Amino acid sequence: MSDASHDVSVLIPVVERPEPLAALYDEFSTPLHAAGFDCEFIFAVQPSYAGLIPPLKTLVSQGAPIRVIEFGHGVSETAMLKVAAANASGRLLVTLPAYRQVEAGAVPALVRQVEEGADLAVARRWPRRDSLINRLQSRALHIALGSLARGRLHDVACGVRAMRPKVLDETRVYGDFFRFLPLLAQREGFVVEEVASPVHPAAMRGRMYGAGTYLRRLLDVFGLTFLLRFTDKPLRFFGLIGSVLGIVGGLMLIAILLERQFANRGLANRPILLLGVLLVTLGIQAIALGLIGEMIVHLHASRRPLYRLRERRRRPRFEANDTVGAPPVVEPATSEAAVIERELDIATSRHRDAG
Amino acid sequence: MGVSPQDCGPIHHPAPRALALPLLPAGEAMISLSVVVPVYNEEENVAPLVDAVGSALGDSYNWELLLVDDGSRDGTVARAHQCAQTDHRVRVIELARNYGQTQAMQAGFDEARGDVVVSMDGDLQNDPRDIPRLLAKLDEGYDLVAGYRLKRQDKFFTRKVPSWVANRLIRAITQVDIRDNGCSLKAYRRRTLDRMALYSDMHRFLPALAAATAGARITEIPVRHHARKHGVSKYGLSRILKILADLFTITLISWFRERPLMLFGFGAIGSLTMALVFAVGAVIGLSGVREDMADAYVLPAAALLWVVLAGYLLMVGLLAEVALRQAREADGELLPIGTERTL
Repeated sequence: MSDASHDVSVLIPVVERPEPLAALYDEFSTPLHAAGFDCEFIFAVQPSYAGLIPPLKTLVSQGAPIRVIEFGHGVSETAMLKVAAANASGRLLVTLPAYRQVEAGAVPALVRQVEEGADLAVARRWPRRDSLINRLQSRALHIALGSLARGRLHDVACGVRAMRPKVLDETRVYGDFFRFLPLLAQREGFVVEEVASPVHPAAMRGRMYGAGTYLRRLLDVFGLTFLLRFTDKPLRFFGLIGSVLGIVGGLMLIAILLERQFANRGLANRPILLLGVLLVTLGIQAIALGLIGEMIVHLHASRRPLYRLRERRRRPRFEANDTVGAPPVVEPATSEAAVIERELDIATSRHRDAG
Repeated sequence: MGVSPQDCGPIHHPAPRALALPLLPAGEAMISLSVVVPVYNEEENVAPLVDAVGSALGDSYNWELLLVDDGSRDGTVARAHQCAQTDHRVRVIELARNYGQTQAMQAGFDEARGDVVVSMDGDLQNDPRDIPRLLAKLDEGYDLVAGYRLKRQDKFFTRKVPSWVANRLIRAITQVDIRDNGCSLKAYRRRTLDRMALYSDMHRFLPALAAATAGARITEIPVRHHARKHGVSKYGLSRILKILADLFTITLISWFRERPLMLFGFGAIGSLTMALVFAVGAVIGLSGVREDMADAYVLPAAALLWVVLAGYLLMVGLLAEVALRQAREADGELLPIGTERTL
């Protein structure tokens, strides 16, 4: 990525309900070009959608900056994007879903937000004029996420995002968690901004998914909650579960022991004894699992990045004496700010790489 | 923060050098002492703190002061940068967000260039005039010197009582003889810090962790303590449960970090004992010795549950050994500090 030959690389993972790729390119490249961004498009394609590739050939033969990376079966969306990002030549990255989610005209604003200092800018579909069914689903996701996103991010799952490449490099994201990149990046200490973007007219209709999709999302949210809250302290999670189970079971056992002692009622034929023992052993098992987790965390503590230092980035600001309406200055990669930034990057990474 | 393999090779280290802090004005010369102070929303306290450290240490050491900002939302960072501009011995480290005291301290330790590192609270309750005494004690041949607050100026019920209980527990369980784990004023040798990795909320158990993972020799001296003048305390009672959980963790880690199978093995033996108790009951009942226990079918079932738990714990113990081995292979072994005594 050192020889940046584009301002922006647009990465499009073709993994679900794709629309014709050439049309996507036409629609989304126009406003970016109009805003003065020199951009390339990289489609990361799953084998089941390989049939969508041939129509792009016409565009490429006309000189459109389009690249296609094909993957085998079973590669996750996150991994596909990471490969695409590693091959991208843009100074900044934009990710788009392979369908029209927000209006194409909103994308340059995201890129500008990143140029002005954010690490990741995520589109928030707003105002929501699409079907109530879609809105309810977004709402449900955010309710499930609870306090993880509350007050800061309103549309975590929107796939339209602009970012510095290092956000994707340095945020520990894998599997299906790409969906929650804004939350993970924020957690990592990156500056994440939301940009209100109008919903695309093509995405207005209500859409339901199969039951399996909702189940997977639920598991994702569960896993994410655990990862964000307890990765550093698994014993607090497992210990809580274990002690609640153990205490409930223990109280049952104490109760029937007291009854045996004072009410002369034997233990031998009381099924509640079995339940009590079961709960106690289950509690011990949960705590044992927590201990394993804690041991792994402890053993690897010296190798995991514990914190990120803030970067002092000189933001291009438009002062009052600037010409009104001047187009945003696109700084070349070798500008002073970029050099400072790179040095800071090196300092930060050296810092942790030493481990 | 990691230590290169060469660093941790030999167990025998040279006898502790006299600190030999050069009596030079600070400059490009080697820094001998780093004072690490995590600050979070302490805008009122930053400037007085820098002054206090400056007047306490003067020109006697070649020191640096690291202010680690833990994502403050007030003017702390601006004040800190002001101080750094007027005094080149002050450095500001900004974390990208609010991570917590442990992470802020580790960031300071990672950035510190001194051979000796002193950590301190940012609320002026510790007194930097105690630093020379800590260093003198360190010089007697210790790897970590902790301060304990002689006349603690805090609220009785919400601060002192929980702290007393926690310290008693920590002391009894970890066997590290420190009476005040909550006091941040501590001095460390570089090599102690190089062998430790803080995480989660482990700053409270730093001496125990240093003893367990670095093999540090630890002692303590009394230090001054002042009442808070500016700002508000960032602690609350809610931390007690967390401390208990962490205490449990650190205990088990300090006892069993080299032999996890033993821990789980003990659990399995205990579990088998319970199984035996229930099995005896079952035999008595089902053999018809006692008529009132003739249909004691729950007893063998309960005994089996304990047997299952024993098997499970043994398997988890084996898994722990695998995890330990994997980590050792990836990291290279970090051997503890050993100091050769000249006889």
